[in-house]
Amino acid sequence: MSGLKIDNIQKRFGDVHVLKGIDIEIDEGDFLILVGPSGCGKSTLLHMIAGLESVTSGTISIGQRDVTHLNPKDRDIAMVFQSYALYPNMTVRQNISFGLSIRKVPESEQEEIVQRVAEMLQIGPLLDRKPSQLSGGQRQRVAMGRALARKPSIFLFDEPLSNLDAKLRVEMRTEIKELHNRLGTTMVYVTHDQIEAMTLGQRIAIMKDGVIQQFGSPQEIYDEPVNQFVAGFIGSPSMNFIPCPVVKQDNQLSIELDNETGKFYLPIDGKNAELESWVGKTIILGLRPEKITHDIASHADNQGIHRANCRVGIVEPTGPDTLVFIELNNTKTVCRVDPSEAKNTGENIDLMFDLTKAVFFEPETGERVC
Amino acid sequence: MVEQNQQQSLLGRAFVYSALVLGAVYFLIPLFVMLITSVKTLDDIRTGSLISWPDQITFEAWSAAWTSACIGVDCGGLKGYFWNSISMVVPAVAISTLIGAFNGYVLTKWRFRGSDIFFAMLLIGCFIPFQVVLLPMARTLGFLGLAGTIPGLILVHVIYGLAFTTLFFRNFYVSVPDELVKAARIDGAGFFTIFFRILLPISGPIIVVSVIWQFTQIWNDFLFGVVYSAGDKQPITVALNNLVNTSTGVKQYNVDMAAAIIAALPTLLVYFVAGKYFVRGLTAGSVKG
Repeated sequence: MSGLKIDNIQKRFGDVHVLKGIDIEIDEGDFLILVGPSGCGKSTLLHMIAGLESVTSGTISIGQRDVTHLNPKDRDIAMVFQSYALYPNMTVRQNISFGLSIRKVPESEQEEIVQRVAEMLQIGPLLDRKPSQLSGGQRQRVAMGRALARKPSIFLFDEPLSNLDAKLRVEMRTEIKELHNRLGTTMVYVTHDQIEAMTLGQRIAIMKDGVIQQFGSPQEIYDEPVNQFVAGFIGSPSMNFIPCPVVKQDNQLSIELDNETGKFYLPIDGKNAELESWVGKTIILGLRPEKITHDIASHADNQGIHRANCRVGIVEPTGPDTLVFIELNNTKTVCRVDPSEAKNTGENIDLMFDLTKAVFFEPETGERVC
Repeated sequence: MVEQNQQQSLLGRAFVYSALVLGAVYFLIPLFVMLITSVKTLDDIRTGSLISWPDQITFEAWSAAWTSACIGVDCGGLKGYFWNSISMVVPAVAISTLIGAFNGYVLTKWRFRGSDIFFAMLLIGCFIPFQVVLLPMARTLGFLGLAGTIPGLILVHVIYGLAFTTLFFRNFYVSVPDELVKAARIDGAGFFTIFFRILLPISGPIIVVSVIWQFTQIWNDFLFGVVYSAGDKQPITVALNNLVNTSTGVKQYNVDMAAAIIAALPTLLVYFVAGKYFVRGLTAGSVKG
């Protein structure tokens, strides 16, 4: 068993309360992502798991073992850093075997491990080079090789891809995922990039201001965000947040939307019970861009899908889709439209609103209503 | 228009170069005078002018300065004092550099409560005039039984140099990413292993700076040498002064000049060998790779 259990962890730096009671539990072999904006405490938490940062209160267990007060070297972990942190004075080979030689692994065995790791990461030809002679992607690989050499029970990654260019980042992302599949070792990965979080994670902890906002699988978090922060943080382009009055229209609970082309009403199905009390008040509608599309005839009869005609503002082609911006209730709203169906700025377009996955938030607190 | 610009830039260039040449000449003339005087005979010095070329080049003055010039009542030349200086400078430079490196390591990578204040106080050490510490240090050396000995001088120079070497290394290690130390800790390296196997091997440029600085300071020091050493344990700077001031018979300018050059040679040598790295080390903002 080498799962990870974090129990009510707190961290203070003097008067600053950085982590305000973090609870996370994952099973052996899980890929956990800690994600959030800078300053949310995710890196501090990772450093605490590594033992590089002391714990103010709470406990950390790896497997069944309480490691809260152990030294990093006694925790059976390995870590990959953002700056790679390769030892500049050593060759790649020495970098990989440094930890082994400190642990007094016999030399022949060290060489065997270096070869195995080099083969796994395809860095064999680089073994005798110094880090300064490597490209960014190669350094990244060596940093991972160093972590792999010791077969730790947990791998920790501290924004390992953020120094790479966009193309390499995507490649390495896939490689890390493959590595995880192959090794089956527990991994904890810190990132500020929500796409990395979604693509890599089996479990995602979204943090803000030292508090975990939501902890769940990527799809859970995408579909059922607990508050407006999580909903806005995950997904690109971000979810639309449109303040709209809740009204009774033809005896149907609806939301009122106002575009330059005129007012229209979208009926809310299925969530009547929760929204009944909101009639006459304004609520925040959360609707992802891909739920506002061009008119797709085959969807027309589906429950919860409604048409409306809107004035097009800015248009941003991305290739597979074109992002069309419209104004709804004086709020800029993004719609994901097929390029062939997109209209130009100032024209009108028929859009389809899919409210089956719509979420509603309290305007004051940003908490989820339903 | 273009021509005018060219003319202007030519004029500016000529001005810059002549200023540089003048400056160089101004600084080189004393050295030139010393050199030619040291290879002249005494007759030659008396009859010629200060900058006239020697009639006959002789190195007798040099060998006299090295082996037989009179320093006080002892006529053994500078040789012994030269070795005094070497045996003082080498350990003093090595120890102060090593401790400075260690201080810099602790002050940047193992910060403790009050480490910044500690560093600030250490910096004040760079500005304390020598004269202020003369008497207390004399008492201390006496108390330690090191008064008038070379180990005593080494101790004084190590203590005095620490402020500078710590400053050098602290500023160098500040630019070394902390993640390097963290990675080493996770790899299982301890406090000393990290210092000796990670930090020290990448400190080349700043070690050169520290060594040149300390070597020059300690070798050229006169005040501490004259106060804390006596007799045949004095460093070469003090011996040079005594040699020049020893008045028996004719003033031997050629020997004085040769002795002065001998006393200055090691610092020149260090600068020629490592000067390139000195500038590089001073400007080293970060460790590459």
